[in-house]
Amino acid sequence: MSAERVDVKQKVLSANDQLAEHIRGDLTARGIFCINMISSPGSGKTTLLEKTIDGLKDHLRLAVVAGDVQTRNDAERLIRHGVPVEAIETGGGCHLNAEQVTRSLEAIDRDRLDLLFIENVGNLVCPSSFDLGESVKVVLMSVTEGEDKPLKYPAAFKRASAFILTKTDLIPHLQFSADAAIENARSVNPDLRVFSTSSFSGAGLDEWQNWLTERIEESRRST
Amino acid sequence: MSLALEIGSICEGELAKASETRMTALGVVVGVFSGVEVESLRFCLDVVLKDRFGDVHLEIEREPGLAACLECGLRFEVLRAPFECPECKAVAQGVSGGQTLQVSYLEVE
Repeated sequence: MSAERVDVKQKVLSANDQLAEHIRGDLTARGIFCINMISSPGSGKTTLLEKTIDGLKDHLRLAVVAGDVQTRNDAERLIRHGVPVEAIETGGGCHLNAEQVTRSLEAIDRDRLDLLFIENVGNLVCPSSFDLGESVKVVLMSVTEGEDKPLKYPAAFKRASAFILTKTDLIPHLQFSADAAIENARSVNPDLRVFSTSSFSGAGLDEWQNWLTERIEESRRST
Repeated sequence: MSLALEIGSICEGELAKASETRMTALGVVVGVFSGVEVESLRFCLDVVLKDRFGDVHLEIEREPGLAACLECGLRFEVLRAPFECPECKAVAQGVSGGQTLQVSYLEVE
């Protein structure tokens, strides 16, 4: 029997992408802006979120979906800041997918929400492939990670709208060039909006929060 | 691994559609900016394919990205960072494409 060739040309993630489009439609219809935060473990996603929640919660209604491989530690830290938080424990999975986010969103009151953060699992590779229905992706990298990370993990930087360099207060103790890191990120994605921040000193946090507020207003005007 | 399992499910669906029982080869396209590490995917796919379909010849095709030099405007294909313009050697380029992750074909009998 001779082999027969069947052309398929099917996107591997089409099932995930369909669910993600459903999430996007639901959030957009309710006027909710959604950020998918991607970075390696330990780059400071949760700490930045704590600061951002404190800075914005008086004039915006916020919620968080927090993913971790194991433990609910991040979610427990964030709940203390007085916003609804849903934890996703992936039990080994190295990224969040749209199905997990769909389930989490059922537990969040989306009729009273302006801004939803999805804190992805710490990993610069796999999360960039999975659309979660977000409005924008934001990639974080701390100054201890090395300037060439945008070149080593281009997909995460390519697909993000903003790049947040974190822990800049540590720069005096390191051989790290913020300019080189930013140049590398922009070589992958010239349109990246860049924020140099320190959740410890507070540097750059106002700029980041103002950008978020502007993006929310912008998306509301366009819908 | 979840990608390999998803690919396995797509293959099962296509096999059923073609009313065939045996898959002999599988072609997958992986863009350089798809966020997928080819060697990891190959490792996981080897396990999934062996388990569900027996011996399958696996062909992974890399899809390049397209860069446009911001200095001289030259357009060229890139397979890995850093993206240096072959003409003027400028480093900063706009990059597009290379985001595909798809099952391109099966061979069945």
